[in-house]
Formats: sequence, structure tokens, C-alpha cells
Amino acid sequence: MPELRLHTREGFEAMGEGLLYSDKSLTANFPKEESYSSAWSRESVSLQEFSLLLPQKVRYFLTPFVAIENSEASEVSSFQKEMGPFTQANLLDYEEDQIQEAIFRIRTSLSVLCRELANRLLSLFHDAKEEEVSINIDSLRNFYSFFQLNPKLKCPTISLTPENDIYASWKGEQNRLFSVYFLPCGGVRFVVFKPNDRHPEQQIRLSGTATSDILMETVASYGIWDWISE
Amino acid sequence: MKGDRIPDQHHIARYCKATQAPGGEIQATAFMLRREEESLSVNWLEFLRCPNRESEVAELQRMFGQKLSRVGRNARMAILNVGVMRETVLQGSPDARNLAALHAPELNDPSHSGIYNLKQDDDLIAELIRQTIIDTQPAQKERLL
Repeated sequence: MPELRLHTREGFEAMGEGLLYSDKSLTANFPKEESYSSAWSRESVSLQEFSLLLPQKVRYFLTPFVAIENSEASEVSSFQKEMGPFTQANLLDYEEDQIQEAIFRIRTSLSVLCRELANRLLSLFHDAKEEEVSINIDSLRNFYSFFQLNPKLKCPTISLTPENDIYASWKGEQNRLFSVYFLPCGGVRFVVFKPNDRHPEQQIRLSGTATSDILMETVASYGIWDWISE
Repeated sequence: MKGDRIPDQHHIARYCKATQAPGGEIQATAFMLRREEESLSVNWLEFLRCPNRESEVAELQRMFGQKLSRVGRNARMAILNVGVMRETVLQGSPDARNLAALHAPELNDPSHSGIYNLKQDDDLIAELIRQTIIDTQPAQKERLL
């Protein structure tokens, strides 16, 4: 699974032709890949060509607010000339664009799991938009990092917490449950329900906190990996 | 009356946003408190004095439509038995949490009630409550084409 690189020029160029469709492609055509397979193909298009073709909304890649790591002074100044003062509406648009791009990145990863994950996230994105809220981008990054480290996991059910953070849940036989709350800071809270093998009428329930990079090690002794991975 | 304890044999309904019920399946996130919340909002079904569950659901759908600025197309309502929910949490939570379901009427929502004694990071309890859902219904009245 490739690394999630939201802010780099390389990441921008790597998106290829698919980005020409901008959010319209994501929102209208995303799950129907068979019908629009050509829309996802990658062709070599230069950054300059992209910049001319893109609608203003997706030119955020060149803004000082997102291109922190690799931006150049000339790009920043051209943005300022073209876009005018930065408003609250700009900020909301920017956050929405970031989420869509993150989902797009997951979608264009090679594994089947990533496609299913992206479809579920896109559905969540649409539902959130209808509720006039937005997925917390830092929680989404934390979630994606976890999947990068654990690429063989089955696709969980994904929902949003009241704070708009990502909550992933795997449910198995005999009321097995593993749920993870992906906090924006990189931390996680988790819940485990599992059968008590010695006392079948009982269930073992526990919860805890960790960071997403050591979560699977932390819960290893509860045999979770066996039923949430492929 | 405000503060009345809802009897254990009675039922409550919880409005669940679409983002808390992906694919129509209600998740534990529907039973988590927002940062500033003191209790989890629910509606007391028996208080509505409707002849059956169907009409209780219809009445709540009508009320959600009036009270909320927007009822999502995919939003659901979870129906729970108060006693089962309380007992499950009491037996299953590490601190034997004793939840209380209390009537908290509002001007435009007389059956409004709350589940009290929850905390903001009670993910395990939210999962326990989710396990006691006995029925789910659309939060929005189905529109005829």
C-alpha cells in the first residue's frame, strides 16, 4: 500500500488523468469503476498542464496552506494573486478537498481491500456532507496509517464518532468484536469482546488506549489477528 | 414530568445519523456522547400513548422532521428496552455502571428523555448498548414516488 502523500508535487503528478475529473469524478463516478475505467488510467501530464486544466477549486495543491513541504515562492505568490483573501469558506473547501484526495489515494492503491475501504469512506464522506459535517482529516490519516502497517486486515465497518473521527469495527462469530477509535493525534482507543473459552456462558470484554502503530501488538494476546485478517 | 425514571419494561428510541449507521447498520458511535453533552438524547416510546409500535415510529418520524433542521435520508432510529439496556451495561461494564433513563421533556418534543451516567470516552459501554438494539427503523418517513 503506498504512503499517503497529500501535499507533495510528486503526489500531485502521480494522480494522472483521474484528477482532471476533480471531485465530480469522485462523487459521481467513483464506485462504478467498470463504466469509467479510463477515467482512472494514468497518463503522463505535466504539472503546468494540469494547473491550466484544473478548475480553481482543486488548485489547492499550489496554495501556501497545503504545499508546505515542497512549495516554491513563485507558486505561493501566484496563488495569492489569483485567489484573493483566505476565508472560512476557503478553509472548508480545503478540508473537503483534502478528504477527497485522501480517499482517492486509497482508491488508487493496488489492493482490493483499499478499493473497498475507499468505497466505504466515500459513502461516509457523502453522508457526512449531507449532515453538513466533515470527516476529521487527521483521524482519517491515522486510520490510513494503520492500514498501511497492517495491509492484510479485512475491511471493517466504518462510522463517524460525534467528533467526526473515524471509528472502525470488525465483528465476528460468537459476538467477537474489535473496534478502534482513531484519534486525530495518532492515538487509538480500542474495545475487544471475545468468548471466554473456559466459561462459554461468559464473555471477555476489555478496552484500552494505544497508538495506531503498536495497536496490533498491544492486542496480540487476544487472538484478534486470526479473525480480522485475510 | 421532568426527571421521572423510565420504567425498565418501557422502550426508548435513539436518532442515529447516517454516518453512525453505514449500510443501515447502527454502530456504537450512535451511543457516544458529544464533548459538551451530559446525557444521550432518546425518546420515550410509551409516553407517546400510541396504540402500537408502528404508530410510535410514525410519530417520532414526524417529530424528527419538525425538530431537526435536517433528517438524513439514511438516518435510522434504534429502539431499545430500558431494562435490558441497563442490565447489560450493569453486568458488562468494568465499573458496573448503573445507567439511568430519565424523562427530560422539551417544548417541541414532550417524549424527549436522556440516558444518564455516561462519560465521553465510554466506547465499551457504547458497544454494550448497541448490542441491546431490538429494532431499527428509518428516521425519515418513506416518501412515495
